[in-house]
Amino acid sequence: MTENKDSKPTKSIEFQDWEDELQRVGFVRRIFLARKWYGADWWFVAIAAVMVVGFILIALFPGWFAPYSPDDLVGPRFLAPGEHPAIPVLIVPQDSDIETLRDLAVAKGEPRPAVAVVQGLPTAGALNERAQAIDSELKKEDEGLRLRPRIKRYETLEKALQAVVDGDALAAVIQSTEFEAVADQFPTLKEGASIIGEISSSGGFILGTNDIGQDIFSRLLWGTRVALLIGFSASIVALLLGVPLGLIAGFVGGSFDRLLSLVMDSLYAFPGLILAISITAVLGPSVLNVIVAIAVLYIPTYYRIVRGQTLSVKEEVYVEAARSIGARSSEILWQYIFPNVIPSVAIIFSVNIADAILTGAGLSFLGLGLPPTIADWGIDLARGQRFIQTAWWMITFPGLAIMLIVLAFSMMGEGLTEIFNPKLRER
Amino acid sequence: MADDILYSIRGLTVEYTTRAGVVRAVDDVSLDIRRGEILGLVGESGCGKSTLGKALMRLHRGPARITSGELWFDGRDLMKLSEREMPKIRGAEIGMVFQDPMTSLNPVQRIIEHLTETIQTHEPETSDEEAYARAEELVERLGIRRERLKDYPHQMSGGMRQRVMISLALALRAKLVIADEPTTSLDVIVEAKFLDLLKELQKEFGLTILLITHNIGVVAEVADRVAVMYAAKMAEVGDVNEVFANPKHPYTQGLLKSVPNIRLDEGELYKMGGAPPNLLHPPSGCRFAPRCPEAMDICHVKEPAFDVVEGDHLASCWLYQEHPEPAGAVS
Repeated sequence: MTENKDSKPTKSIEFQDWEDELQRVGFVRRIFLARKWYGADWWFVAIAAVMVVGFILIALFPGWFAPYSPDDLVGPRFLAPGEHPAIPVLIVPQDSDIETLRDLAVAKGEPRPAVAVVQGLPTAGALNERAQAIDSELKKEDEGLRLRPRIKRYETLEKALQAVVDGDALAAVIQSTEFEAVADQFPTLKEGASIIGEISSSGGFILGTNDIGQDIFSRLLWGTRVALLIGFSASIVALLLGVPLGLIAGFVGGSFDRLLSLVMDSLYAFPGLILAISITAVLGPSVLNVIVAIAVLYIPTYYRIVRGQTLSVKEEVYVEAARSIGARSSEILWQYIFPNVIPSVAIIFSVNIADAILTGAGLSFLGLGLPPTIADWGIDLARGQRFIQTAWWMITFPGLAIMLIVLAFSMMGEGLTEIFNPKLRER
Repeated sequence: MADDILYSIRGLTVEYTTRAGVVRAVDDVSLDIRRGEILGLVGESGCGKSTLGKALMRLHRGPARITSGELWFDGRDLMKLSEREMPKIRGAEIGMVFQDPMTSLNPVQRIIEHLTETIQTHEPETSDEEAYARAEELVERLGIRRERLKDYPHQMSGGMRQRVMISLALALRAKLVIADEPTTSLDVIVEAKFLDLLKELQKEFGLTILLITHNIGVVAEVADRVAVMYAAKMAEVGDVNEVFANPKHPYTQGLLKSVPNIRLDEGELYKMGGAPPNLLHPPSGCRFAPRCPEAMDICHVKEPAFDVVEGDHLASCWLYQEHPEPAGAVS
């Protein structure tokens, strides 16, 4: 008990300012200022790093994660996320040797086989469409076989299935999910093949399908590759050009510096996206051109920061000390100034990637950046925009993906800034 | 030129071009540095000591410029060397130790890299192992354990860094080491050790050291001769005992009186009247005249020559020079 009494006053002494401040503000501000109060820098960086690594993995091996190819038309159009695709399958008696729709073909002149469907469902249309396609194939093969099923419509599912049991129809075409629900009532029937080719009825499409039946999830995963390719390459090109220019301009100074700074400042003066748009408009759509356009956009960022740092590091005593031991200008530049300047470059690099990805997506959203055959988030966004009222998932998920990747890179960059720059730390 | 003189500065003038005008930080200074001596260069802040030190290696850039003078080092006039030849002199023949040991080493380079780089810059044929061995030997001599060579500068104390700086100068057996206030940021105990080391090294390697400082005590402790600068001009030069015992220039006299002394029981320290002149508009005549307690008419009109007072003792003061009564003395 006495111990408790003793420990109380010490606790109040340790009670820190920020804890005091914390008591006085509302919940929202607590969250906003979490980093300041809880020192959550490492958290931010760790979460961001996991996200970044995840994105890079996906970009390197999209095939491992994506269930489908991004370009294939793998399902019905406009399927909402999580919804199972309605796959019409053949339902035949257990002892029937009919497996696929093709098995229903008969020789010319023989009576057309009857197929039962439920009234008002799209299965009849699908059946008709598919049967015609197979029929025209059969015509080409010229073996005298034709496929022209007689479609019998029934009011309910049970009635249609009963017709098959009774022998009124050779087979029924029913959505696979619907048949599963009533399969117990019709033990003499079995599920045959799907009538629209090789689609599994099990998996479905996590994020739905788009307007032409591509899997949105697969397109998102493959789109990571283009996004990261543009983000990284543009930033690296900008870095490779901007850093040496900034170093030399800052170190040499004089009219060279002034001229270069003028050029860079005039590049800076353009609104970023507009400059990129005009460059890609001139160069034409391709991944390489987008990279070039965005790189040009970010060269001044690196130039400015490196030049400024060089100007200040140049005046440090150790640079003068280096000259006093006889180091030549090139040695001073690469061994003394460059290593002292590079940490700040590393930080803007990460933020820059996020920015470049955003600009790249913006370009392809406007239809200027990439050829439309490439799986890219910007293109998917633009496509989804047209169907925003009927298919919200088409525009939502690419948008979320862009947001997440930008968030990951910016968070990492900003976290690193705060960790490496002790001046920004308030404690 | 006498052979015992290592560095002979003749009429050196260094100008800073500023917005307000041209400032002569070093104005027509002549000074001889003798082989194997420690020459203390003292003066107030801003009197041009450090500028002079840098000028000896022609380290100036930007607004500072050596406008005239000759720098005879070991038989060569450094002013006549090109910018490409100067790096061969810097480090190899003249080394420099800077005021602030905290910032004078590259923070991203290990200590060993500083040393091997210095050696290999000047002797490119030296192998890595050889340079490493030499560096190890050197720092052990200076009292740094060889394991510490792999450290970065921020892991070392101020005194150790100053020793590293010295070792950089010694790595190539520089003949002259310019130490620009090397002990200003060290505490007294480290300072004393460092000064002892400096003396030892001077004897052992036959070093010549130009010790730039504003600390009279340090000069009295280690220097053989002392040079006193005032307002970009040389005021007095002579043997350290001679100058301190018998200062000629009134400025030196005042300077010595204003040194705090632990033994004397003076009520208040002597304060020299006035302030150092603005070098943008230096006073005419002797620059110390406005503050000088013994100023004569001529002092305000004509500048005294920097001349021998007796033996080795030089001063620039009319008190010790024949002067004609100014013809039209304005009064």
